Amino acid sequence: MNTLLAVIIGVLTVYLAYTRYARRIDRNVIQSDPKRATPATLYMDGVDFMPTNKNILFGYHFKSIAAAGPIVGAIVAANLWGWLPAIIWLVLGVSFIGWASDYSGIVISIRNDGNSLSAIAHRLVSPRSRTILFMFIFFYLLVGASAFVGIMANVMESQPRTHLGIILLTAMGLLLGQMLYRWRTGLVGATVLTVGVTLLGILAGPWTEEIFKGFNAGLNAMTGGTPLVTYFDPTLANFKGADAQIMPSLLFWAIAICAFCYAGSVLPIWRMAQPVVYVGFWISALSIVLGLVGAALATFIKPEVAQFVLPAFKGWNPQLGPAGIMPLWPMLFVTIACGAISGWHALFGSVGTARQIENEADMLPVGGGSMLCEFLLGLLALLAVAVGSKGAPVGAFATGLGGFISVWGVPLQYATSLAFAAFIVIVLVVTQLLFRVMRVTLSEWLGDVIPPVRSQHVSSFVCIALAILVVMTGTWIYLWQLLGGANQLMAALALLLVTVWLASVGKSWYYAGLPAVFMYVTTIASLLVTSYNLYFNVYQINLAAGRVVPVIGSGLMVMVALLLIVAALFIGFDGWRAFLRYRRRAAPTPTPTPATARA
Amino acid sequence: MLNHVFAERVARLREALGRFMYGMTGFEFARHAVEMRHEMETVFMVVTMGDLIGIPVLPPVYSLRLLPYVVPEIATWKRNLARRKEFWEKEEYDLHGV
Repeated sequence: MNTLLAVIIGVLTVYLAYTRYARRIDRNVIQSDPKRATPATLYMDGVDFMPTNKNILFGYHFKSIAAAGPIVGAIVAANLWGWLPAIIWLVLGVSFIGWASDYSGIVISIRNDGNSLSAIAHRLVSPRSRTILFMFIFFYLLVGASAFVGIMANVMESQPRTHLGIILLTAMGLLLGQMLYRWRTGLVGATVLTVGVTLLGILAGPWTEEIFKGFNAGLNAMTGGTPLVTYFDPTLANFKGADAQIMPSLLFWAIAICAFCYAGSVLPIWRMAQPVVYVGFWISALSIVLGLVGAALATFIKPEVAQFVLPAFKGWNPQLGPAGIMPLWPMLFVTIACGAISGWHALFGSVGTARQIENEADMLPVGGGSMLCEFLLGLLALLAVAVGSKGAPVGAFATGLGGFISVWGVPLQYATSLAFAAFIVIVLVVTQLLFRVMRVTLSEWLGDVIPPVRSQHVSSFVCIALAILVVMTGTWIYLWQLLGGANQLMAALALLLVTVWLASVGKSWYYAGLPAVFMYVTTIASLLVTSYNLYFNVYQINLAAGRVVPVIGSGLMVMVALLLIVAALFIGFDGWRAFLRYRRRAAPTPTPTPATARA
Repeated sequence: MLNHVFAERVARLREALGRFMYGMTGFEFARHAVEMRHEMETVFMVVTMGDLIGIPVLPPVYSLRLLPYVVPEIATWKRNLARRKEFWEKEEYDLHGV
């Protein structure tokens, strides 16, 4: 297997899924009608509801859904089960489930006056489903932010070459916000300056590596080389599990990441979060485009970086820790989330993109098209890790992506540095937004009961403290799978809602209903497996060793997993009852479309 | 003729790519600027024309002079204020790629 063949498979998947399946559903089931008025045109207010060109929306929606999710999932899955199961799930998942979820999230909102999924669930399913969805979001954000902080702290501690780039990214993001919103500088000039300086900082990373290594050594010398915390990590020693140590340097970088996220959470969005995301976007987009085209060309120009090194298949139930189980079903299907299907996309699409769709014919290219493009991003991550399988999962990804970028003539050392930085940048900018949203969610949830939580500083601090506690369990793979489980469950619930809506309007519901059942059963099973792993592989081992922090953290994670299962059972039960209610009811008379009415 | 058709297609493709890039880059800033302006305009409308939505503001002469300019905006303004908003529709929920 080589990268060219994988890229061809990817492009063919996108073409076939879009033209042979998605278009058919759009035409025959949803019956999108370009002449039917959309909420954007009906309720135009110049802000939320605003008819927008489909190509602009395509770019906006794609950028909004594509980032860390598809990359991390593919890296983890390829290392656990091999590249073959990962690529099969990516292809099948996006073709039959992923695009349908994204597209349907937009469709259901457009056909329901631009309402959000929660408001539609409140009306169609049951009032409590809205509250449960709310709880879902908070825990989803908690495990997501914790997983990302854990991954980043480890990568930053072990890769001092990335530090200069990240420091400059923060500084340039702040400068860009000032330039755009205060000094009113043109976007092109401001972009060239800020992205250029950040890129130079990233490429200069290898030169400053020794300085930051010395800095880390100085920090570790403060305790005489003694670790601050010792915990059992089942992912170490080639997934056999071993004791891991938190050194002062790791804690320093974890705190630095949290300080960055804290600032991103409490400052006005234009001041830091938005411009940092923008600068980060250019860095990651540059790496991804160079990497994807490089992966296709590598077979001809640099064949040594195009051959898969990772085994195609590693087993149905690979070993992870002494007592852990990792069965391919259901765990693969939540480990790779966003590249195949993601619940967050449907949630975002229903409140963001759907209200700007100018015409129903744009629903498929914007919703389905963006998801199919995100699949290519997941595929690139899979290719990178499959060809560069040296070292830890993230290191393998960076080595592989660096190899693809080096096809363009960039020296491998700098290309790898760019790939590492791109990974951290993608994860970092997402994490600050996760904390920002988590802070808002917490304030809204508990603000009435615990008034101090209404303060953005208190709520941000609580969110960060909770995330750090979970990170201290040292089990980022389980955290990632918990995040994947919550995310895929949200996708299943979105598809369930679409199924209920299709039944309520007398349309064929199979294209959404069958994936909904599959994802619902799979994700509940995966949450049970993750709970089992956390309890027997982390909680009990650390309890026996008398380590308090990992015990509290892993206990919290088990409770989160069980809470998600209970919440999903409630929504599933309500959804099933609503589905039966609408199925038994006589099919409504189809509303004449404007075109029919005129005829 | 064939060249003309080809050139037209290339121009269309270039325009679509340009818009796609704008969607990924500047569109977000433009939307945020619109949102900021909208918030300021809401404050202005409430202060000057609050009685239209039940907030008792005595209409001074300036409000009456502004009224003809405000009339075209009243329908969308009232609709925007009346629409039930979920808390996760706040700007902080503009998540990017999770």
